[in-house]
Amino acid sequence: MSAGTVLRRIAAVPTPDGAVLHAVVDGSDDAPVTIVLAHGWTLAQAAWDDVADLLAPRVAAGELRLVRYDQRGHGRSTWGRYADDVAELSIDQLGEDLGTLIDELAPSGPVVLGGHSMGGMTIMCLAAARPELFGDRVRGVALVSTSAGDLAPAGRTLAEKLQLKLAPGMVTVAIGGARAFERIRQLLPPTNPRHRKIVRELLYGADATEDMVVEGAEIMHATTVRAFAAFYPALGEHDKRQELRALAHVPVEVLVGDSDKLTPKRHSHQLAEVLPDAQLHLADRTGHMLPQERPELVVDALGRLLAAATAAQAVA
Amino acid sequence: MTSTLENQPAPSAGPGRAVREVGIAIIGSGFAGLGMAITLKRRGETDFVLLERAGDVGGTWRDNTYPGAACDVQSNLYSFSFAQNPDWGRSYSEQPEIQAYLQRTADRFDVRRHCVFGADVSSARWDDDARRWLVSTAAGDFRARVLVSAAGALADPTYPDIPGLDTFAGTVMHSARWDAAHDLSGEKVAVIGTGASAIQVVPAIQPVVGTIAVYQRTPAWVVPRTDHPVKPWMRRLYRFVPGFQNLVRAALYLFREFLVIGMAKNRRFLKPVGKLAQAHLHRQVRDPKLRRALTPDYTIGCKRILISNDYFPAVAAPNAELVTAGIAEVRPHSIVTTDGVERPTDTIVLATGFHVTDLPIAEKICGRDGRSLAEVWEDGMVSNRSATVAGFPNMFLLVGPNVGVGHTSMVYMIESQVAYVDDALQTMDAEGLAVLETTREAQEAYRELIAEKSKGTVWLGGGCASWYLDKHGHNSTLWPDFTFRFRKLTKKLDRENYVGTPAVPAQRPEVAA
Repeated sequence: MSAGTVLRRIAAVPTPDGAVLHAVVDGSDDAPVTIVLAHGWTLAQAAWDDVADLLAPRVAAGELRLVRYDQRGHGRSTWGRYADDVAELSIDQLGEDLGTLIDELAPSGPVVLGGHSMGGMTIMCLAAARPELFGDRVRGVALVSTSAGDLAPAGRTLAEKLQLKLAPGMVTVAIGGARAFERIRQLLPPTNPRHRKIVRELLYGADATEDMVVEGAEIMHATTVRAFAAFYPALGEHDKRQELRALAHVPVEVLVGDSDKLTPKRHSHQLAEVLPDAQLHLADRTGHMLPQERPELVVDALGRLLAAATAAQAVA
Repeated sequence: MTSTLENQPAPSAGPGRAVREVGIAIIGSGFAGLGMAITLKRRGETDFVLLERAGDVGGTWRDNTYPGAACDVQSNLYSFSFAQNPDWGRSYSEQPEIQAYLQRTADRFDVRRHCVFGADVSSARWDDDARRWLVSTAAGDFRARVLVSAAGALADPTYPDIPGLDTFAGTVMHSARWDAAHDLSGEKVAVIGTGASAIQVVPAIQPVVGTIAVYQRTPAWVVPRTDHPVKPWMRRLYRFVPGFQNLVRAALYLFREFLVIGMAKNRRFLKPVGKLAQAHLHRQVRDPKLRRALTPDYTIGCKRILISNDYFPAVAAPNAELVTAGIAEVRPHSIVTTDGVERPTDTIVLATGFHVTDLPIAEKICGRDGRSLAEVWEDGMVSNRSATVAGFPNMFLLVGPNVGVGHTSMVYMIESQVAYVDDALQTMDAEGLAVLETTREAQEAYRELIAEKSKGTVWLGGGCASWYLDKHGHNSTLWPDFTFRFRKLTKKLDRENYVGTPAVPAQRPEVAA
């Protein structure tokens, strides 16, 4: 019994501006390395559940500690200073949050970071703001279905131009009318096949099972319209292409699905170009929800990073 | 003094101890005990004692001091009809205010002079020769003509049988035995149970603790709590407009009685209540997974319907976790669930309820043939009109079997019972009876009546296991009908269901002399 149990504790990490981040810490505090996983836009830490399940035996064996957390404004985590006004919200804030979380929950010892979509951008922002963390503390990074920038439509076609013009107003309307939007949204819950069809077409690859789609749709359904609208412009503004130097100091694994519509594979190619030592993995018949669709690929990537992190530790 | 005592033969109730003679011994001084005492007092009867194990009156409302403790019934209704309080601060009062009300009411009717505090009853035996109850307590022995047990149903906490709980190195406290001196701030707290106490204590401590894990076996249906402060002008109306508070009280009573139609008559009428609870959960919890975990699979009303506006938000807070896996064992510093997860824990709060269908007082009361009430009730609690038991002469139960209510004020039921017992006592006096005892036939008829009324109720057919049902699956705790029907049934003593033995005047004193 004792060998098989996974030690778990909940952490409510306060940020300097008064937000509270909800984290689940699996594993013993004296494990040799800590993995911290950051989820994507409108998701929650539950998006990592399949990865966590595959890692559970290694957590139980004391090989690693696993930290999953809800990003600000997502899941159980609160908004902090953006509770009333989201105008200044940027992905940089999420990078800062991740730094706070590492300081609080993994104050020493090697750390491996994994980020999916907006979570990957979160890691890039942390690398830009606190490059000194990377190398000694952060020993490896997995960037899954993510981008270093250039996500907003370029404004080349008429439709894109229109979208750019209307987007800010739309966001304001969405936040202002969040309650009304919520009500409309409740009319089409994840149990509705049409809801699942939309989600599947946008986010999933050809091999995704119905269970995966329901799971993902439910996680997103739990996210507020406010989070959806507030982070949308922040994602468009995210551009860290010139600030990824810190990531060059650590092993990086880049993963993307070949049918990713949100962060198409060109973004991952771009990352691999900027980070020449990064390992790029393209997953067949896979959409944006790669951690759910191909959790074993993520676990393999994390495994390689862990091996490198602990080997580096042995040398040091 | 000492020599005098030594020269006398030891009293039969306890060697070397003086025995106090009283007319009526009442066990407990909660709503039931106080209600009985005040009723006696108001008609000039003063030959009684209240045997209270603690140091103050109040019973359940004295003992349950956990943070957030409050009543689920509006105070206008949850109070004595003869001692209404125009000054309730909130529509639903919290424990301190209710306890203060009970203390004040005890003082107002000068009941305290009849209280023997620290009088934990260890046994109460019927002496058939002397026709007296011999009651042994921690504060001395008593010989009483009549015994009234007002010990209550929510009196003795239940402690769960979890392997290793006794090896836990941190603090373990039952919600009903709260240690206010224990500082929970920053601690990793586990709350076991999701009943009426848990859903009050969880939101009260969640903002203070470091983290809170709520261990849930069965979720409860929760409806919104319409609690609000009582406006000063409303209080003035209660105070100065004759009958106004009675009117509000009656309206609350009637409104709540409508629930009985759904719970005991036709379950279809519970549907809107279920819809309300579902909407409440839906509005307060976004996460479909958490929502599912918090959605009961039984009909609303089968277990007690809980009311709260802050339980769900507390469970969904950043420092909270709802654990649905069963508890496998407790270790010195952690709790392990059956899914193999071990959670480090500093303090365990047991919100695990009370001995309701196995009332501990029943083990202490022994009747004519020497058998305890618990032994007689081995196959289920039986009684006549929830008050008397064959073989237990001159004994009356308050808040005993089948008087419980989940939908309305227990005080209403208590007052119905007190009136019944008082009528029995007056009948005994009027007829000059030394002994009054109900018959097995009456008991059997009452059991059948309850069983008949319970058929098709949500408590039996709602698809849940609750503390309303005993280990045989019988409803032995709830009154399964409109409460006004109980009041009507117990308005007067059903003399035909009792055997009375007249006192033989002036015989015993002569013999004794």
